[in-house]
Amino acid sequence: MPSRERQAVALLAVLLCQGAMVLPVVAQPTLKVGAIPDQNPERLNRLYGQLADELSDRLNVKVRYVPVSNYPAAVSAFRTGGLDLVWFGGLTGVQARLQTPGAQVLAQRDIDARFRSVFIANTSSGLQPISSINGLTSLRGKRFSFGSESSTSGRLMPQHFLAKAGVTPSQFSGGRAGFSGSHDATIAVVQSGAYQAGALNEQVWTSALNEGRVNTEKVSVIWRTPEYVDYHWVVRPKLDQRFGKGFTTRLQKAILGLQPTSPRQVTILELFAAKRFIPAEASQYKPIEKVGRELGKIR
Amino acid sequence: MRPTAPALVLLPALALLPVLIVVLNGAHGGGAEILGSFVVGAVSPAMDPALLKALLIGLQVTIATALTGWSCSLVLGVLLGCLSSERLWLTWSLPVWPAIVLRRLMALPRSVHELIWGLLLLQVLGLHPWVAVLAISIPYSCLIARVWRDQLQSLDPSQLQAMLQTGSSPMAACMTALSPAMGSVLVSYGGYRLECALRSATLLGVFGLGGLGMDLELSLKSLQFHELWSGLWLLTLVTIALEQGLRCWRSWGDQAQFGQRQVMGFAVAVVLSAGLGGVWLAHLFPDAGSLTWLPVQWPDFSSLRLAAEELPWISMLWDTLILTVLAAGIAIGLPPLLLLLTPARLWQRCISGFWVMVRVIPPPLAVLLLLLSNQPTLAIGALALGLHNSGVMGRLLQEGLEQQDDSAQVALASSGASPQVGWLYGLLSPRSPSHLAYGAYRSDVILRETVVVGLIGGSGLGWQLLESLSSFHWAAVLLLITTYASLTLIGEWLSDRSREHWLQS
Repeated sequence: MPSRERQAVALLAVLLCQGAMVLPVVAQPTLKVGAIPDQNPERLNRLYGQLADELSDRLNVKVRYVPVSNYPAAVSAFRTGGLDLVWFGGLTGVQARLQTPGAQVLAQRDIDARFRSVFIANTSSGLQPISSINGLTSLRGKRFSFGSESSTSGRLMPQHFLAKAGVTPSQFSGGRAGFSGSHDATIAVVQSGAYQAGALNEQVWTSALNEGRVNTEKVSVIWRTPEYVDYHWVVRPKLDQRFGKGFTTRLQKAILGLQPTSPRQVTILELFAAKRFIPAEASQYKPIEKVGRELGKIR
Repeated sequence: MRPTAPALVLLPALALLPVLIVVLNGAHGGGAEILGSFVVGAVSPAMDPALLKALLIGLQVTIATALTGWSCSLVLGVLLGCLSSERLWLTWSLPVWPAIVLRRLMALPRSVHELIWGLLLLQVLGLHPWVAVLAISIPYSCLIARVWRDQLQSLDPSQLQAMLQTGSSPMAACMTALSPAMGSVLVSYGGYRLECALRSATLLGVFGLGGLGMDLELSLKSLQFHELWSGLWLLTLVTIALEQGLRCWRSWGDQAQFGQRQVMGFAVAVVLSAGLGGVWLAHLFPDAGSLTWLPVQWPDFSSLRLAAEELPWISMLWDTLILTVLAAGIAIGLPPLLLLLTPARLWQRCISGFWVMVRVIPPPLAVLLLLLSNQPTLAIGALALGLHNSGVMGRLLQEGLEQQDDSAQVALASSGASPQVGWLYGLLSPRSPSHLAYGAYRSDVILRETVVVGLIGGSGLGWQLLESLSSFHWAAVLLLITTYASLTLIGEWLSDRSREHWLQS
């Protein structure tokens, strides 16, 4: 039937046009920034414009915030060039740099060089505060929850310290640990008693405590981990070729130069729960890489 | 002995028994305050202008992605469905093996969840809005192809054969004999896929495209229930609007079959929405760049073997199967069970509302909510997945029942049967085969959705797949995806067999 055929041809034509529509107009390069902080993540998504504007004003290039909220996706997007500058966690940053040769560490927060996790327990679980790492053995046979799979402070380092004490996830009740998905969710599932204990980012715990979001009669800290290094800004290699000589250095200076002097900078520092950013070195993250390899998160 | 058709539909509800026993056994009140704040959030969603603005932009991204993904998958699905139908190959007097091979091959793309497709495509295509569109289109088109092929095969072939024997060309014969029935399948099933695409696009918001799913996920991560509900209400409104819109479209035409014009109108709408969605996406992401294929390095044999030795196969498969079977049982059995309770109009309305709600609440959120008053068991995951999917099945069942001729029910009622019996044998019984067929397709979906309920603790193939992906352990990812595909193939074979056995007497 000719009319039918004509319609089929029209359909094909429209479909083929799609390819042309998504083709871009190559204009001036855009710096694509991604960030998934653990604290107030939902606020960042709304205030990202401020970070992009601040960087854009300081660097004189177009900056776009790319809202990637899935860690493996952020690592892959960084590798494939969809993201130029990313605020990574300890583990994900190492993964991203290993997959992207030449990527550099630019900065971390003042608190990231000495980061900690806390182990929390429901008061009805009968778990007592632990004085040394070997006390973690009391978690055997309990229902235990980590945060998200890729989290350094909610999974990797807690699992590492558990392993040091000789506790593996298979020794928890049910033969495995749970994964609540986020630090706040870990507090919720331990406070409710669904899980008897859990581990999370100390900073998130402290601010939840200060904001009165924790029922201290039901859940309390049983152990603070030793210090380790966490979050950092990581940048793709060869940005200087795209944005001009010395761009990466200027970018680093722009991040380090964020001070609580203008309302916009106050907002940005608040978003990252930072007083300021300080320089960081790739070598600081070697221990994280080692732990990542031991636990199979880095291959 | 064969159970009667309505009994077959209600039998899967037995899955509720073990699930409820475990869930009630582990129930506790520890999460009452958090659940309370969730409920409070529902009645007082956040109305902060900055939030609403972000949500509205997110909604645009989600709708544009859903529209494009939906129309591409529908076009591709119908094409693949025709190609994998033995009947059409026979009509052209060709050997049927390509159809069979194609049908089996499609189990692989179908068995992988959209979220996983998104992550995989990200590896080879980079960050691009069309990654989400493709992540929806690939599994969806294969699912649509399966439904399309099954419907083609189940049509009465006598008219087609008669036309062929009288010398019509195969094309003309197919168009005349098959297209009216297939037209109504296209409109009703195709329309329903749009809502599925909307849900998938929401879930895919996490890939740097933004979208409503991203806002929902972030609010969930920080347990900001007031903000979470702003997004959920928005999604509910869109879902209801879509459902009512499609209902209006259907009531336009004939009761049983759609007119030629309506089908044509629908086809045009599909094509137009591909264009509209594509332009919209290009507008929302002006500097997206072009799609380029990046080289991938495939895992070699020795790393595959190492990965195979590392994976906890038995517990993983066992957990996944239990989760899938229980959730599928709930999804298939719960809707007719609830409808059976009473035919009162008000009750039916309430149930429809319930189905919208469970469809809108994403499974990870459902698991978290259930977990707040319970212990982490597989039953929680099965209940969350089952309820979510029962919303889809319930909607399909109710739609089918509305289109069903109710003369048998009236006859039964006038002969003195109770309303329940009249409903069961008069109305539900004729709908049973299609409800079970949709149930089989849903089980496919549930199997791949086991990926999103990892919260209940390192269990099953789904969690293992996410864990391997987040470790970038490609050998394990490859093995796990192959396992998913094999399970899907086995499931397809079983459902084909049981359909032959029970329903085609």
